[in-house]
Amino acid sequence: MNAFFASLARDRVFYLFVAPFAALTILFGVWPILLSIQVSFTASATALRPNPSYVGLANYAAVLADPLFLASLWRTLLYTVLSVVANLAFAFGFAVLLDSALLRRGALFFRLAIFLPVITPDVAGYVVWRWLYDRSFGAINAALKMLGLPAFGGLSSADTAMLSLLIAELWHHAGFYMIIFLANLAIRDRALEEAAQIDGATAWQRWRYVILPQLRPALVINTVYALIQFLKTFTVVVVMTKGGPNDQTNFVSYYAYQLFDQARYGEATAMATILFAIVIGLSLTAYRIGDREPGQ
Amino acid sequence: MNDRAVNRPLQAAAYAFAILTSLLFLYPYWWMIVSAFRPTRAIMSAPLRPWPETLSFSIFTEIGRIGGVHLATYVTNSLVITTLSTLLGVIVTALGAYALTRRPKAPGFALIRYGFLVTIMYPYMLLVIPVYLVMFRLGLLGSYAGIILFLALGPLQFFLFEQFFRKIPPEVIEAAIIDGASEWRILTRVVLPMAAPITATVALITFLLNWSQWFPIMVISRSPDTYTLPVALLSMNSELGSNFQGIMALAVLTTLPITVLFLLAQKRAMEGMAAGAVKG
Amino acid sequence: MGTVRNLLVAAVAVAASLLPAKAQQLTVWHDLGDNGVKWFEALSAEFARTKPGVTVRSQSFPTDQWFGRVISALNTDTAPDLVFNNYERVIRVQTQTNKIMDLTALTAAIADKSFLSEDDLRVATFKGRQIIIPIQRVQMAFGVRKSWLDKNGGKFPETWDEVKTLAAAFRDKDPDGNGQADTFGLALQAAKPRDLIHMLDLFTFGSGLRHTLIDPEGKITIDQPAHAQVLEEFLKTYSTYKFVAPDTINHSFNEMYQVIEGGRGGMFRVGDWNVRKWDGANVLNGDFVSGPWPKFAADRQNAVVIGGMRGVAVPENSPNKALAQEFAAFMLTKAAQQASLENVGAGVRKDLDVSKLSPRSQYFAKAEHRLAAYDFPESIHPFYPELEAAFHRKLLAGISNPPADWKAFIAETAREMRELAAKLKG
Repeated sequence: MNAFFASLARDRVFYLFVAPFAALTILFGVWPILLSIQVSFTASATALRPNPSYVGLANYAAVLADPLFLASLWRTLLYTVLSVVANLAFAFGFAVLLDSALLRRGALFFRLAIFLPVITPDVAGYVVWRWLYDRSFGAINAALKMLGLPAFGGLSSADTAMLSLLIAELWHHAGFYMIIFLANLAIRDRALEEAAQIDGATAWQRWRYVILPQLRPALVINTVYALIQFLKTFTVVVVMTKGGPNDQTNFVSYYAYQLFDQARYGEATAMATILFAIVIGLSLTAYRIGDREPGQ
Repeated sequence: MNDRAVNRPLQAAAYAFAILTSLLFLYPYWWMIVSAFRPTRAIMSAPLRPWPETLSFSIFTEIGRIGGVHLATYVTNSLVITTLSTLLGVIVTALGAYALTRRPKAPGFALIRYGFLVTIMYPYMLLVIPVYLVMFRLGLLGSYAGIILFLALGPLQFFLFEQFFRKIPPEVIEAAIIDGASEWRILTRVVLPMAAPITATVALITFLLNWSQWFPIMVISRSPDTYTLPVALLSMNSELGSNFQGIMALAVLTTLPITVLFLLAQKRAMEGMAAGAVKG
Repeated sequence: MGTVRNLLVAAVAVAASLLPAKAQQLTVWHDLGDNGVKWFEALSAEFARTKPGVTVRSQSFPTDQWFGRVISALNTDTAPDLVFNNYERVIRVQTQTNKIMDLTALTAAIADKSFLSEDDLRVATFKGRQIIIPIQRVQMAFGVRKSWLDKNGGKFPETWDEVKTLAAAFRDKDPDGNGQADTFGLALQAAKPRDLIHMLDLFTFGSGLRHTLIDPEGKITIDQPAHAQVLEEFLKTYSTYKFVAPDTINHSFNEMYQVIEGGRGGMFRVGDWNVRKWDGANVLNGDFVSGPWPKFAADRQNAVVIGGMRGVAVPENSPNKALAQEFAAFMLTKAAQQASLENVGAGVRKDLDVSKLSPRSQYFAKAEHRLAAYDFPESIHPFYPELEAAFHRKLLAGISNPPADWKAFIAETAREMRELAAKLKG
């Protein structure tokens, strides 16, 4: 026990250093999350009052029995998978291209062009995309028409709305994943490739067995980041579709937010908690799989 | 990178692809700028027109007031909130990450770190009501303080600092301890001078990211008086309809300053973001 | 954690006490945009004549933000002094918060109010509580782009068949003469529950029917022949007839306004509050004419629709409750109502000076045509919003994937609505 207090005394100054960080984390992170979880066990009508009435798991039961929520959850997962794959594939492909000897001149321009949307305020970017997509007034359909191609349904058709969001979000996010791949490509051990080449490995073999394994860290990080990112998809829905058409883009975040607006706090926070559990579960799984050594 | 001769047709294809993709990525910016100078009806009848019919800045006086608040207020709010939250965030995160890396085993420290990691995984658009309640209980609802405090922390910033402090060779600090330096002195005389470049990077990234924030600001605000440009942009419609050209003009105003800042410091920003993520 | 909290609270309290004391200010939250802000500025100046030192500041939010903000503010005792909006939206706030003040006594004490009919006050009353003071009657007419109409005979369409003929002509005959097939017969909206059902309300009440979905006894009406006819034509307008822009299913009023103001839609809803903007040179430049909604059968009377009331409400936890009530009462005075008419295009008094208004505004101000009011099911059936939300989803599904047989679809919808209504009642 004495040793414990001694260590406390020695570390006193570090507690001082960490105090503001801890305070902000607790006040604006941990506390609201706990409050949110608490609200998910209360009756909506009383949730904001000083003495809310607790209803046990009733909100969770209601949410899980709600076909709209289940449909929304399914769409969220589908959208996440498609987005993660599309973003990582694009980012990876572009990073490899930029890293290769093919694009020596102008590589910085290309990199800036793809990365610029990352720092562009998402609201501004999506407001523009929303109008580019417009069936009647949008530039995309005007261009297709000029080229004699059939019109793109964009946000107005149930078949293409999710794809449209995916493209707009790819525009906004892919640059981030790209620079992570690029950073990883830059620190790889090129001597290994030369050795492989001398040993007579084909280009494909060099990629598959020498370069790709070295890109594992970037792949894992990007997967986890993208999973968290797309499971939480929200802003693009608020700006571009409000969940439509016909609920095709009504992802969990937005659906829960709509319930907030209707003061159905209990169900909304229950949904938030469920989504939170999914985010944590999937991210940890991705880390696990990623951390495993090949062949293990 | 290789000594082999570059395959010419392949190179041409690569350039064609890269140029086309880059132009497609940049086109929305061009369209936004052009649309800010064209009347709504003109945009709608000829959306592909590559430049405005006339160059008139009158739209910026037309959106001089949005939702009962002056445009200048939104601009000021954006600058003040982003700057102060960046300053606060850098100081708090640097100190916090430093303490957590120097004494990872101190009682409670692991808990703080996990608390932070869990927070960044929470779908924070769903913290609307709880954050609103917390701000209310703290008396911070509708205040700049509430917004700035909320925006101060971010994952990339924390990871960047943590990663940097981990890389400081222990001998450097041990030498200072043997010389009898206090922890405060070690921090100010040894660690911080070394950390100057990373601090600049974190400040830059925090500024870039916080400029784009809208949801927490909308939630913590009690009225448009504390809205920043992105929130104002999202609020630019009313029961009486919306001003399409005005929306584009405001989008330009929201995007332009941050784009210029980014282009001036692009190397640091991109390398910093990549580094912060890789260690996260 | 408690200590930190207390410290922060103390710090904020100190900071707040250092701010200079302000003259008394009332805050109003509405969703009327800049014209609304101008209107409240005019009211503030007028109010200060009798109440020196008092200023009224209004802030406008997009409608969905207005909801969320008002509800959470009232629930957490951070309410503004007054809120202003449509009657049915205030009802929703009241059901979520139970913190809208009963203004019966205040209204009773107002001497000059003969222009408010019993109907007006009934509309303002929800569960025995007068939750708003009616300030503006919301009138909605059927509008046609005048220049397009003139190219197609110039006769304002009275019957639904005439509307259909005209809609096809507007779509196919290049009424704007730009050589492109880029025009639509009608500009409508559908995205959110209130959008689609609101449009259906207009077609229903405007054509002389009394209920959109449910009658006061709780009977579902949509499959009664007269109702089914309107509903079927309404749904076809969005789908098989191809009279509207293809993305209408995603359109809320903002997008609908883009279609109208962008010169693409030929027939549309004209609200009394739209006229001022649409008279503007850069908008429609007055190129529209208003009239009653189309008739679906010769023996029914069509009308311009009164979609309720916009009014002012006082939260129970309003920071300056007494003064807020005084201001609410003031909003019915002649000067305040004149400002309302001139800035937002509507009022409730009948003795206002309309001579300065455009002919298009006068159409509403003078109430030149027969008026028909909503039936306000939400004031009778507390479960109505949920029923309506389900109805909306069902109709949207039908529009986005049109069934071969609309009659069967309507019958099926009616059955589902009956089941749901029974469930919600129980």
